[in-house]
Parts: sequence; structure tokens; C-alpha cells
Amino acid sequence: MPHRVLRSPQIDRFQYLLLMAACLVLTLPLEFVFRARVYRRPSRLVRTLVPVLVVFLAWDAVAVARGHWHFSDRYTTGWLLPLRIPVEEFAFFLVIPICALLTYESVTTMLGYLADRRRARRAAPVGEPQGAEHA
Amino acid sequence: MPEYTLAAVVSVVLVMVLELAWLRTGMFRRPAFWITAVIVFGFQIPVDGWLTKLSAPIVLYAESHASGIRAPWDIPVEDFAFGFSLMTLTLLLWDRLGSRERDQDHGRARGRASTAPPPPASAGRAPGRER
Repeated sequence: MPHRVLRSPQIDRFQYLLLMAACLVLTLPLEFVFRARVYRRPSRLVRTLVPVLVVFLAWDAVAVARGHWHFSDRYTTGWLLPLRIPVEEFAFFLVIPICALLTYESVTTMLGYLADRRRARRAAPVGEPQGAEHA
Repeated sequence: MPEYTLAAVVSVVLVMVLELAWLRTGMFRRPAFWITAVIVFGFQIPVDGWLTKLSAPIVLYAESHASGIRAPWDIPVEDFAFGFSLMTLTLLLWDRLGSRERDQDHGRARGRASTAPPPPASAGRAPGRER
């Protein structure tokens, strides 16, 4: 019986959407821990995402029309946006770029932090002369 | 060449041309970009893997339109080119808008609280906003 619950179509319909939600939830801490500042620059974020959405949703529409791929009825909601775009695909082309941006900004923060540390160590007057040699 | 394979390869070429011929952000010379690419590539495997796994696929591919090479696991290799283009276009646009923002008002300090009033010396704003 628990097996039936896990495989219940009601939950299965949301698999794709839940996967996208998981991506957002798992990358959210980057905004704060690494001071990615992606969500906190909403205007720049929107102006980045809109062209990406347009280009990739167009690609998606052509690919579906040409039969390159299609979506499982079982694992998607069937909810369609205007132009017959599955809500999942819209979410995908929002979520994945946001994840990429959070990663990029976190990496940038990290590299900046490492560079600052290197610089500080090099600039350190006395203290540890061999530290500079190692760096 | 199968259509999806062709489209995926072309998308990578187009995004490269966009950067090298037009945007010129210098992104491809930046270690942060390539480190991000490796991380995103790593996370694409579980996410895309879940979407494309042949045991219970969420996205179903027509084999005739792809190379038929699926690796790792069941991910069509074309998806990695697709993902690279998606990531790179996003980062290029973001970076481009960022450098434009910096050009327009470099007076605004990054760390300043958002509640703080705008800096009085906003003369640097004048040349911007032409968009």
C-alpha cells in the first residue's frame, strides 16, 4: 500500500515542478552565505531572464513542434501557459538560469575573498616573512 | 546530422559568436566562468538525469533527432551543449548589464544598506540612462 501512495498519479504530476522547486530551495542559501546578491538585484535579474526565456522557449517550441522531444503526461501537470507552453518549461528556463547566476556570483565572491587574503598576506609588513614566500 | 544534435552545436557556436563579436564581456577569460561551468555541469547530471532517465522519463526524446549517445546514464549528450548555451547566455547578459550598471553609477557603494539615502554626489549619473 505505501508503494501505491508513492506512485500516486496526483504526486507524480508534480515531479517536474517539484524538481525545479528543489533546485531553487537548494541554491537559495548561496544568496546569503556567499553574498551572491542575485535576488537582491531584481531589475538586473529580470532584464537578464527575459531574453533567455524568449530565446529558449522559442527553441523549446520549435523542438516540440519538430518532434525532438515531448513531455510525459504522467510527470507533468498539463497546465499550459499562453502559446501552449507547459508551466514546467517556463519554470525550467527561469530556475536553471537563476541557479547558474547564484553559482557564478558565489564563485566570484569566493575568488575575491581568496584574492583579498593573498593580497593581505603579501602586504603584511613583518609577522610571517615565510608566508609570503609560500604564496 | 540529427536535428537536435545540430541545434545544440549551433547554439554553442552562436553564444560564442555573441560574446566574441558583440558583447565582449571578457567572460571566457575569467576563471569564475569556467569554475561555474564545471559546477553547473556537475549539477546538471542529477537534475537532467532525473528528467531523462529511461526508467521513468519526464522528458522523452525522439532518438531519430539525436545522436543516440546517452551519457552519463540516460542523458542525451546534446543536453550538455544545450545546458552550456543556456548557462552562458544567462551569465553573458547578467555580466553585460552589471558592467553597464557600474559605468552608469559607480558612486553607489555595494555594501551600503538599501535604506540609506542615495549618495549626494550623483554627478556620475548624468552620462548614463541614455537607454
